[in-house]
Amino acid sequence: MSLRVWRVGVIVAAGCVLGFAWNAFGGRGIALSGNAYIKPGEDVVEIDAPEAKKRLDHGALFLDARPVAFYAMGHIPGALPLPEDDFDRAFARLEPRLRNTLDIVVYCSGYGCEASHIVARKLREKAIPAAILHEGWPAWTDAGYPTRGGDQP
Amino acid sequence: MRALRHPALQWLLGIALGAVFVYASLDKIEQPREFARIVYHYRLIGPSAALGFVPANTLAVTLPWVEALTGLLLIAGLWRREAALAAALLLVTFLVAVGWALAHGIDVENCGCFSVTGEGRAAGLKLVLQDLGLLALALVLVLVPPRAREVAPAGAPAAA
Repeated sequence: MSLRVWRVGVIVAAGCVLGFAWNAFGGRGIALSGNAYIKPGEDVVEIDAPEAKKRLDHGALFLDARPVAFYAMGHIPGALPLPEDDFDRAFARLEPRLRNTLDIVVYCSGYGCEASHIVARKLREKAIPAAILHEGWPAWTDAGYPTRGGDQP
Repeated sequence: MRALRHPALQWLLGIALGAVFVYASLDKIEQPREFARIVYHYRLIGPSAALGFVPANTLAVTLPWVEALTGLLLIAGLWRREAALAAALLLVTFLVAVGWALAHGIDVENCGCFSVTGEGRAAGLKLVLQDLGLLALALVLVLVPPRAREVAPAGAPAAA
């Protein structure tokens, strides 16, 4: 019985077909073309780092959804801390400012970080639209854009 | 070497390896979103806006089913050598992912091996050893054809 390598290809291909079919019809599918954190039907604006930089230069307000310790280590210049793990308290403090800002961008730690999506969702529930920086902090620093350390924005 | 070629042993090895793969696929199939999140954590393939699809999501959707199919074939004993080769390739992929995470100091708290929620097992050296053990099992099935059949030609492709 010789080894027929093409069968391995068939196994992988059939597995992929089953996977896509289950994703499409199984009822628990996730978006293939978006962030897995975005819930189906959710209206989310994700922007990349250059677009975020442009908005920052035009006076957009940035919100840092990471825990405050990360904020202190370094953040986008002008960004305010709105940590997902302490949302209600931070929001109460920032609400007047947020209500008066048209252009808001939320970011967190990038890969595998859901905080920016949770914060943007909570803001949306309060009728405050906010865009999400795709890939968050690492995208920003990888692009070589300025950062700032410490507790001050 | 002769013992390894015993059909009964090969049958047992196939069932054992297959059971591990089927078991490993269930939670991921059940909760693709959680699994996608774990795939992100490895930072090997992340979300990408440039492609028309997100590699991490696509992998999270397809990989569990390849695992499941591989496992079912191993259990059933159909295409056993080829299924074992598929299993070996999957294990090499996992080893690369875990090795990548370890080498880059990425703290993968839940390796996404069996359970995608809650505690899970961390991606560490112990996991590497376990994957290597499973890989050895798979390679036995790939490289040692069962007795009482024609022997595979020399130069059977080495799995990775």
